[in-house]
Amino acid sequence: MFHVAKATFIRNTRVMIRAYPWSFVIGHIFSGVYTVLFAFFAYHYVFAGQLDENFAHLAGSSDYLSYAILGGAFYAFAVSTLMNVSRSLITELREGTLEAVLLTPSLRRGYFLGNVAQQLMRTLFEFSVIVLVGALFGLTLSQTNVWSAVLVWILSTGAFFCQALVLGSLMLWFRDTYITQNTLFAVMAFVSGVTFPIPYLPEWVQPLGLIMPLAPALDAFRQCVIQGAPLHAVSPQLFHMTALSLVYLVMGVWGIRRMEKRVMESIFG
Amino acid sequence: MKQLGSLLLAEIIKEHRHSFHSKMIYFSLLVWPVINFVTAYYSFAPFQMGADSPLARFISYEQLPLFLLTGYLGYIFYWCLVQSSWQMSFERQAGTMEMIFISPVNRLAFLYGRSLSSLIEGVWLFFCFVLLALFFVDGIQLSGWWAPPLAFLILLVSAIVWGGFLCVLFLFSRDASFLYTVLDEPMLIFSGVRLPPMAFPVWAKVISFCFPLTYALQLIRELLMEGATLQAMLPSMGLLAAVLLVLVTATVVLLKLAEKHMKKTGNMVMY
Repeated sequence: MFHVAKATFIRNTRVMIRAYPWSFVIGHIFSGVYTVLFAFFAYHYVFAGQLDENFAHLAGSSDYLSYAILGGAFYAFAVSTLMNVSRSLITELREGTLEAVLLTPSLRRGYFLGNVAQQLMRTLFEFSVIVLVGALFGLTLSQTNVWSAVLVWILSTGAFFCQALVLGSLMLWFRDTYITQNTLFAVMAFVSGVTFPIPYLPEWVQPLGLIMPLAPALDAFRQCVIQGAPLHAVSPQLFHMTALSLVYLVMGVWGIRRMEKRVMESIFG
Repeated sequence: MKQLGSLLLAEIIKEHRHSFHSKMIYFSLLVWPVINFVTAYYSFAPFQMGADSPLARFISYEQLPLFLLTGYLGYIFYWCLVQSSWQMSFERQAGTMEMIFISPVNRLAFLYGRSLSSLIEGVWLFFCFVLLALFFVDGIQLSGWWAPPLAFLILLVSAIVWGGFLCVLFLFSRDASFLYTVLDEPMLIFSGVRLPPMAFPVWAKVISFCFPLTYALQLIRELLMEGATLQAMLPSMGLLAAVLLVLVTATVVLLKLAEKHMKKTGNMVMY
């Protein structure tokens, strides 16, 4: 399994460096910087730093800039993990290598592990840039509980990976990446508390946030970074995330298997 | 001229069939803007609202929904075109780029045809927007019966010019998708889609004046929210026209350069 993972990791990294070096570096840095800029502009220039009186209570802190910047950074992290892992098979299909991947006796687990590892490297880079730029624009990191934040980060990668499996099988089912992924990302940004606390939403929308791993992951991560909460303080969120991951994992593994069969029969048959 | 027209039409039909193969996309073109609009509306929730909010220096609280709605309408118009030019990279991957450049097609017709293919989604989007705004959102103040058609025309023309310009940029490299990030998201921040550009510091204002969307949105808000007369809008119209003229010139020049570049590297598919 690790052979396959390593090979996939190396191949993806080479593709990234040789074919898309600019898209990789500039694309990821920029999208992070915008998130930060937007929060900064809204807070300082448009609203002159005046917050709603409920905000501190709902967000657990009155530090809006840290709240929004972490939200944006974590959202970017979730989106790129979801996108690159779920798109991997359909990209192979488009580039003409899917047949080769499916015909080799390599383990699919290893293939996805390699993809995730490569993805992890990229998002880590992207995330650090956003946090660095964010620190210049008002993100406070002085209270951060580093170890619990890192652990939440790693657990969330797992959760997003499980969700990506489901998304990937949907993509193969519809033979489309565009509509499927963008609809999911738009809904995620709306219901998971990325730029505003979830309780501001109308009550009937709020349950949607419960099925997105991003919501508990972000909540836990913010508590660890902004308030320096230890790991046991965010255990409800971590349980929530683990439960979601398990459900998505079962659905995703089943879905990917079915789709592989379907693709084999309908395309290469 | 007749030939040019048929080339344009052929490119529109091709591009439309290519990206609108399923009916789902019409649905998504309405659903995404609605979700994004609602998200933008709620992202103002953490701030102090109401009459004494600092926001009132730029827009009144009642007009905020309409402000965001017009902003997103303009943004989606432009965004469709950014997407379509980004799909130029598929033209490379599929190997059709070479065929197009070997054929005696007018290059400009090819570029603007691609942009124009978003006409159909633009019309339907605009129609839904006007209905929404008329029935559900307060603060609408039209300059006259001609304001909505004029707003549509302004959006359409400026978006097509912008789209043609982007398509040219994507001709240079397979690795141009970073431009998508460079040009798409700043448009969202700096053009006044969600935040009034008047609130920005000077350096940000300078950036916002580089995007034609800034001028187009200014005009559309004057038409639909302020009830401005045609005469009052002349300066902004002149500005938009000047910016569009610069963009068209740049498109023509870059197109020539791109073709030269491709002839020199000898490969339109790989690089």
